[in-house]
Amino acid sequence: MVALIIIGIFLYTIGKGHKVLIDNKDIFIGEIAYSADTTYNVWVDNQEVGLLEKGERKVARVAGASHKIVVEEIKEKVLTGDKYERKFKLKTNEGATINILAMINNKNEWIDKTN
Amino acid sequence: MKKQSITKATNPGVRFLINYSVPIIFTILIAFAIPLSGLSGEYLVRELMTRLARNSFIILALLIPVMAGMGMNFSIVLGAMAGEIGLIFITDWQIVGMPGILLAMLISTPLAILLGYFGGMVLNRAKGKEMVTGFMLAFLMNGIYQLVVLYGMGNIIPISNSSILLPREYGIRNAISLLEVRQVLDRLVPLKIGGILIPVASFLVIATLCVFIIWFKKTKLGQEIRSVGQDNDVARVLGINVGKTRILSITISTVLACYGQIIFLQNIGTMNTYNSHEQVGVFAIAALLVGGASVSKATIPNVFIGVILFHTMFLVSPRAGKALIGQAQLGEYFRVFVSYGVIAFSLALYAWRKRVEKENERRKAMALKRVLLQSTNTAGGNKF
Amino acid sequence: MKEKIKNIIENVGLPRVIIFFFLVLLFILAPVVGIRLDASINDVIVRFGMNGILVLSLVPMVKSGCGLNFGLQLGIIAGLLGAVTSIELEVTGFAGFFTAIGIAILVAVVLGFLYGTLLNKIKGDEMVVATYVGFSSVSFMCIMWLILPFKSPNMIWPFGGTGLRTTISNQGYWFHVLTDFLQIKIGNHIAFPTGTILFFALLVFLVWIFFRTKTGTAIVAVGSNPEYAKSCGVNVDKIRIISVMLSTIIAAIGIIVYQESFGFVQLYMAPLYMAFPAIAALLLGGASVGKASIINVIIGVFLFQGILTMTPSVINNIIKSDMSESIRIVVSNGMIVYALTRTIRVRS
Repeated sequence: MVALIIIGIFLYTIGKGHKVLIDNKDIFIGEIAYSADTTYNVWVDNQEVGLLEKGERKVARVAGASHKIVVEEIKEKVLTGDKYERKFKLKTNEGATINILAMINNKNEWIDKTN
Repeated sequence: MKKQSITKATNPGVRFLINYSVPIIFTILIAFAIPLSGLSGEYLVRELMTRLARNSFIILALLIPVMAGMGMNFSIVLGAMAGEIGLIFITDWQIVGMPGILLAMLISTPLAILLGYFGGMVLNRAKGKEMVTGFMLAFLMNGIYQLVVLYGMGNIIPISNSSILLPREYGIRNAISLLEVRQVLDRLVPLKIGGILIPVASFLVIATLCVFIIWFKKTKLGQEIRSVGQDNDVARVLGINVGKTRILSITISTVLACYGQIIFLQNIGTMNTYNSHEQVGVFAIAALLVGGASVSKATIPNVFIGVILFHTMFLVSPRAGKALIGQAQLGEYFRVFVSYGVIAFSLALYAWRKRVEKENERRKAMALKRVLLQSTNTAGGNKF
Repeated sequence: MKEKIKNIIENVGLPRVIIFFFLVLLFILAPVVGIRLDASINDVIVRFGMNGILVLSLVPMVKSGCGLNFGLQLGIIAGLLGAVTSIELEVTGFAGFFTAIGIAILVAVVLGFLYGTLLNKIKGDEMVVATYVGFSSVSFMCIMWLILPFKSPNMIWPFGGTGLRTTISNQGYWFHVLTDFLQIKIGNHIAFPTGTILFFALLVFLVWIFFRTKTGTAIVAVGSNPEYAKSCGVNVDKIRIISVMLSTIIAAIGIIVYQESFGFVQLYMAPLYMAFPAIAALLLGGASVGKASIINVIIGVFLFQGILTMTPSVINNIIKSDMSESIRIVVSNGMIVYALTRTIRVRS
């Protein structure tokens, strides 16, 4: 009986769908402004989210608790070779908004988790 | 009395024809209809593969009550409803993929057990009228399901995902998209042959169920169920609790039906909240009967032959109807007519043969009695 | 006193007692939530007239031991054929009404005979087979409605379609001929359907007399003790067929009366589940699988139609939502399940 409940909770956690918003937008952190001036190619959990132009926002739907976001910089339709990768965890009721600029510049505010 | 001589026929060929009259007639019908419909063999094979994968599980659930002598279990609909409630919840909680399906199965199991137990109890009280009662019970539970899902959900039962609720903010919508769990079982083990996706995982699950059923028949419980099915009184003498065994067989069947409905719906990808389970009982039973099963005997091959024959008819009827009389609508009505007609015919045939057999037993007993009386007469002969 | 009440409840059956008090409650609540009591009672009476004959049709088969007529649809189909033929022949008014009935009876005799012959071959399993025979015949008729050569423009699909429409209005033909006959109007809210009630009473009377004839008593004998009846020289099979034919004929008349009041002839899948409310009403009135009388019909139809009429209006005003359909399903099918499971208790 208890085992079944544990399995149930396990399934719930690894199956829970989350909405992750990804922004290629200007962002103010502290006193510095980071501006979005180029295109990025984004993957979340090895699933291609697509190309984000300046100012664009896209949605990724993921399931489970641990995730990985990979961002590739593209300048003038050519890959620059710059690749960035961050890992993040989501609690069962959390969604998240990720700002690419903050992420690239290693700022702590790169991800904003919402209930 | 021509009919009696037919049942007494010892010619195995004739016996075969009568026992399997339904599938034979069906095969002949289909043989005519397929060319009429103009559907290609490839299309049929592809469709049948899908239908085998998604419908077989729930039809297999019908086998155990037949073993227990309870006939065609129309109340598998109760199990289907339990499965649907499970799916409603995982859609509400947004659990995706395989975990979603497994969780749906997990949470609907207790409900299925409860409904199965209730169904079994009701059927025990209607000994001899199980099929009618099961049938009416399914309708009754449909009403209760409506009260729960159409009025309770969103009200007394908390639903947080408003996209599945009706505009008035309580009650589930008529159709729920199961996009997030669509075909997860089918695609679990991806295999493509010549462009046709083969739902390997689903077939594996079905195969597992078949193995389980074969094994189950050999277990103590399985044997008990079979003796209850053969003869209630003999089983009781053997010390078997007949009532409890019958309830158990219905419960198992209901739980299997619950999983079967979840498998069915994950393949389709959408759930018609109020209609999906209505036809489940009728189509599953019709398919089983078309496969050669009877009220007292149903085997695993019956299930698969039934699915193939029944669903082929389903697929070809509309186009064949259009070709014959110019109205596709005709084909649709024909499908419904055949589904109900098959059940009516099989049940009538079974009931009639049961009566004739009883009549024969009675005559044999009378004849035996006469012989005994005669022999005692000649023995104690000239008393006067 | 307590013993007496307990006995009554056991005999009548708890569900029936509950439903009776529920109905009384609804009647009490009605004026409270703003529903006119006289209009409601009038509604119930109108629906009583509409549905009574269909329920009455179940009685002969129960009496002869064929069980509850789950194959009621056969009689309904006969009635539908009568109705559409009468409209096709452009007969109006009472003449149209009785033409419909006449044709329906002819069809019902044939269908009833075939149905009865089938039931004789499967004694003991009548109900479950009847259910599916009923369903298959409704589906079969769906095909027929499409291809039968009816021409009346009131009935076929417009724009050169073939086949009958799903719902056909009988206004201008025999709509309300009974209901308006000798109608008693009191104020704005009461229009007592004298004609319908009189017709119902007439049929009740005919059935009552029938069961006092030789054939009628034979039917009852066959139902209560077939072996004894056989030893008295009664042809059990023939009597059963007669009871089935009678049930089918009355059902055919019943559906025409229903349509007369309702205003529409409903074809295709509409009759599919029509057996169930009728059976539920009969059971509600105190009948069982093996026993049914005319009193059961009258009480049952009144209770059942009472619930159907009052529940939506009263409950919708209280809870602001329309649960009536689901409640109807639960009540009618629940009654049937209850009756099917009760037999054992009575015997033991």
